[in-house]
Amino acid sequence: MNRDSTMKEHVALFDHADRGWKQTFQSIVRSRDSSIVLAAAILVLLFSLTSGGQFLQGSTWPTILSSTAELGIVTIGVALLMIGGDFDLSVGANFSFSALIMATLMEHGESGLVGMLVALGIGLFIGFLNGIITVFLAIPSFVATLGTWLIWEGVTLVVTGGSTITVFQRSVVLNLLGGVLVGGIRWEVLWWVVIGIVVSIVLYRTPFGNAVFAVGGRAQSAREAGVPVRRIRVISFTVCGLLAAVAGVVQFGHLQSMASSYGEYYQLYAIAAAVVGGTVLTGGRGSIVGTMLGSLILSMLDAGLILSGVSTFWYQAVIGAIVIVAVAMHTRLSRLVRGGD
Amino acid sequence: MSETHREILRAEHVTKRFGPVTAIEDITVSFYTHQITGIVGDNGAGKSTFVKIISGVEQPTSGQLFFEGRAVKFRSARDARRTGIEAVHQDLGLVESMSVVRNFFLGMEPCRGLLMDMRRMREEAERRLYEIGLRNLKSVDQDVARLSGGERQAISIGRAIAFERKVLILDEPTSALSVKETQKVFDYMRNARQQGLAVLAIMHSMRQILDIADRIVIFWHGRLIADLPNDGMDENVLAEYLHNGLPESATIAT
Ligand SMILES: Nc1ncnc2c1ncn2[C@@H]1O[C@H](COP(=O)(O)OP(=O)(O)OP(=O)(O)O)[C@@H](O)[C@H]1O
Ligand SMILES: [Mg+2]
Repeated sequence: MNRDSTMKEHVALFDHADRGWKQTFQSIVRSRDSSIVLAAAILVLLFSLTSGGQFLQGSTWPTILSSTAELGIVTIGVALLMIGGDFDLSVGANFSFSALIMATLMEHGESGLVGMLVALGIGLFIGFLNGIITVFLAIPSFVATLGTWLIWEGVTLVVTGGSTITVFQRSVVLNLLGGVLVGGIRWEVLWWVVIGIVVSIVLYRTPFGNAVFAVGGRAQSAREAGVPVRRIRVISFTVCGLLAAVAGVVQFGHLQSMASSYGEYYQLYAIAAAVVGGTVLTGGRGSIVGTMLGSLILSMLDAGLILSGVSTFWYQAVIGAIVIVAVAMHTRLSRLVRGGD
Repeated sequence: MSETHREILRAEHVTKRFGPVTAIEDITVSFYTHQITGIVGDNGAGKSTFVKIISGVEQPTSGQLFFEGRAVKFRSARDARRTGIEAVHQDLGLVESMSVVRNFFLGMEPCRGLLMDMRRMREEAERRLYEIGLRNLKSVDQDVARLSGGERQAISIGRAIAFERKVLILDEPTSALSVKETQKVFDYMRNARQQGLAVLAIMHSMRQILDIADRIVIFWHGRLIADLPNDGMDENVLAEYLHNGLPESATIAT
């Protein structure tokens, strides 16, 4: 055959010069992400002015980063799930329940390590159960996890009676989860970044990630290509559940106390952060870097409003407005580049 | 043609029900190497359902498949692909929100260690698509959403051919193509036949089917009613079969 001549022609046609990791990096840091960076920068500027410079002070940032990490770890799982076309409304309940189990175990003298492992196991199990219920009962995940949210929140209240559990004992594990790492910045911030990098690589560079995008984009096509759609969905739910528990235990490591109310609304803020970060509600598109920036924006809003002397009651209202503006902007943007992200 | 035809895929008494709907009933048919089989039938006759079963996408309600004489059970398209069956389904099986190259290798991504070998994927996809004649594609990194219907069909067909299997199934592969492009698809099909594949093609155009197929299988209301060699068959006779079933109730044996 004349494959050789065909090869030569085609090599001339396509430019192979800058392929590989650079390309991967570009696909991770999408152009859409740069608009979120811009939005974040504008917020910083705005709050610096309205807070009379307080927002820029060094002491503000460790706090902002900690709450970013705690919300951000949940959000990474939620974004992964949303890219695959599913939702998890139970992450807030999962967050509190698993961390409370860890707190209760430690209160009864168990070590931090045992407490953490049990908590992570519970988070994993809750996620897995969400996946099984959604996939095998063929219920929309929005409804299935609305149910499990209420179930786990109910269980949490029954177990703890709604009280706050505080642990005074010192523990290496608690310290490594949420203690101070350097310059007031806590370990949890590092874990958030590490998880973000790992999940990005998994999403963009592994067959599993390819399958997640395909299932969220068009499940029937994924199925026709031989992707085990149900398995991919259950795994995504499981990862999401695990990350909710991870967020719970790092916050517990940070605060050394936990109550069922600590995870309240996390599911909604996580979806909001993912959406602000460019993850599409209908699935198939999204970015972990954008999602991480989305979490940062939400946390900056929280701190910025307080420092600017605005009542914290406004926080929710502002987030609501931001979500609408962000989605409108992303929709415009992707229309501009015609289906590109 | 002097090649020997060896049976490669056989369906025996295959039935598929979706709830109360019987999509296909008691289909028994064989497919052979070095042969292009045209499958024809009216809308809703059960052609796509049959093709989905032999490519592992759907599982039969009852009946049995044999591949190279061995009884096989496909739990998914992955099983069928690994066995040697590649299909282009009627919906093309592409994910619009993903790039061409990611679509191309979906479900069969080549890896180095745990990670996808993106360089190899790009080079392979570019080469295959170039060979198939898709020469003004800007980049395999662009989303499928930006491509025309014809380009999508070419990608879907190019993907199916690339994996060099033993059975190639095409469910209405030419519906979005111009006359010239249709001829190109026919060339691939003849090429695949020459290489010894069993090629199955569903088409609605009688003229096209009579042009390309060695043999014609007719579906009617979920049943296989005729299995005929294409030796100068008349277009009108074929059309008669499609719309009214068999002239007599007897099924023409294989
Ligand atoms: N997933 C499904 N659920 C329920 N019914 C189905 C399903 N898939 C196919 N059917 C039904 O099975 C029958 C056969 O459909 P099929 O798609 O196989 O026909 P076809 O011969 O490919 O038609 P066309 O030429 O229009 O593509 C139809 O009545 C269809 O409604
Ligand atoms: Mg069909």
